[in-house]
Amino acid sequence: MSVRYIPVQWNRTKWIYDAVMLAAVGGLLWVFLYVTPDLLAHEKPVSGPIHTARAFGVCAFLMLTVILCMGPLARLDRRFLPLLYNRRHFGVMTLFVAITHAASVLNWYFAFSPLGKYEALLSANDSYGQLAGFPFEVFGMAGLFVLAVMATTSHDFWMKFLTPRLWKSLHYLVYPAYAAIVAHISLGVLQDTQNQTLAWMTGAAAGVVILLHLAAALRELRAGDPATDVRGDWEAVCRVDEISEGLARVARLANGDRVAVFRQAGKLSAIANACAHQNGPLGEGRVIDCLVTCPWHGFQYNVTDGRSPAPFTEMVPTYRLKLSDGIVLVDPMANPPGTYVEPVIVTTAASQERPA
Amino acid sequence: MQTVTLVDLTVLWAITGSIIAALFLTVGIDRIDEDARDSYFFRPLIAPGVILLWPLVLWRWRVLETGRDDWKKRHGPPRRAHSGAALLLAVLVPLIFVSALLARQHWPVDVMPVRVAPPAGGQVQ
Repeated sequence: MSVRYIPVQWNRTKWIYDAVMLAAVGGLLWVFLYVTPDLLAHEKPVSGPIHTARAFGVCAFLMLTVILCMGPLARLDRRFLPLLYNRRHFGVMTLFVAITHAASVLNWYFAFSPLGKYEALLSANDSYGQLAGFPFEVFGMAGLFVLAVMATTSHDFWMKFLTPRLWKSLHYLVYPAYAAIVAHISLGVLQDTQNQTLAWMTGAAAGVVILLHLAAALRELRAGDPATDVRGDWEAVCRVDEISEGLARVARLANGDRVAVFRQAGKLSAIANACAHQNGPLGEGRVIDCLVTCPWHGFQYNVTDGRSPAPFTEMVPTYRLKLSDGIVLVDPMANPPGTYVEPVIVTTAASQERPA
Repeated sequence: MQTVTLVDLTVLWAITGSIIAALFLTVGIDRIDEDARDSYFFRPLIAPGVILLWPLVLWRWRVLETGRDDWKKRHGPPRRAHSGAALLLAVLVPLIFVSALLARQHWPVDVMPVRVAPPAGGQVQ
C-alpha cells in the first residue's frame, strides 16, 4: 500500500510466488536446452547460440501466454485469483527472458555484418511486400517494445502518476503485442516445414488464450453487473433484500461508472467499485468492521467514507443512498474520494417491502 | 541511410529521456507525489519507464503541477475495452497463424542439390 514507495513490497506469498515462477522458467529452459533439444531443432543441426535463442524465445512466448490466461481465468473462477496477485513480477521476468532471446539473435545472426548489428537488423531484409520471407523481426521488436513498456511501468508509482485509466489503456497494448509475437513466430521459425512441434505448440497456446478471453467476455456480457434503473435524479440499484449482510451489490450507472452498495450491520453504504490501486472490483470483497478488502491485492477501504485506514492514504469516491419502497436508490453524482456519507439504516419493514 | 537515421533517432530519444529522467526523479517527483517524498530506493526502478515514455511523463507532470488532474477519471477503469480486445485476438491471431502456415514453401524430400554455374561473361567474386 502507499505511505511511502519502496522498490518491491516483499512478503512471504510473493517469495513463494516468485520461487515457483523461477523454478518453472528454469525447468522449461532446461527441458528445451538439454532434455529434448530436438524439439527446437531445424531441418539441419543448429548451432548453440541458435538453440539458446530458440529456447528463450519459446519460453518468453509461453510465459506471455500464461500471463494472458490469468485475467480471464480469475474472472471465470475466483479460485484463480491468487495467480493475479503477483502478475507484475511474472511480466518483468518475461521481459528479461525475451531480452535474452533478442540478444542471442542479435549477437549471432547480425553480429558479423559490416554494418552495426542494429543497422543490420533493420536493413537485412526489406521484403515487406510479400508474406513468404517477410521480415518477421519487426513483429518481435514490436512485441519486445510493449513488454518493455509494461514491465518498466509496473511499479505502483506509475498507476498513481498516469491514473489507472491511462495505465490500463497502456497495458491493453499486450493484446496487439501478443498478435505481433504470434506473427513473429509464424513468419519466422514456423516457416520451417520439417519440425511441426512448434507449430502445434504455438497454435494450441494461442487457441487457449483466445478461448479463455472469449469465455470471459461472454460471461461479462451475460452475467455482468446489471444496469441501474434511472428514476429522475436517482438510479435504482436493486431491492434491499437482495444485498446479503457483509457483501455488496454492484451496478452500472447510466454514466458508465460502477457503484458497489454494501450492507454492513444493518446499514447501507455505497462506494465506487474500482479500487484506487489497480481498479480491482471492490464489490466482490467482503466487509468486516466497515472495511472492505479488494480481492485482487488486499487494499482496504472504509465503506462509509471510501478511505483506507491510517496510515494508508488511498481513497475512492462515495455515493449518496436512499431507500424507497424497499428499493435502493443511488445518486449517480459521485462525491469526491474520501467524502463521508451517513449510512442508510435498513429497517425490518424496508427489507420486507415488495414494490407492486 | 534511413536505417542509420532510425538508430540515431533511437539514441537521441534515449539521451533526451535520460536527461528528463534525471530532472524528474530528483526534482519533479517530490512536487507531484507525496508518497515519493523521503523515498529514494524505488527511483532507479522508475528511470527506464521515464526514458521510454518521456513525452507522456512530461504531459502528466504538467497536468499534476498545474492542478488540472480530474479525480473522476481515476475511478473508471476501461473494462468495456476487454470485449474488443478478445475479439481482436480471436480474429487477428488465427488469421496471422493460418496465413503464415499457408505461405510456407514445401520442397520435395529427395531433391538433389544442383551446382549452379556463373552467368556467361559474368565474374565470380
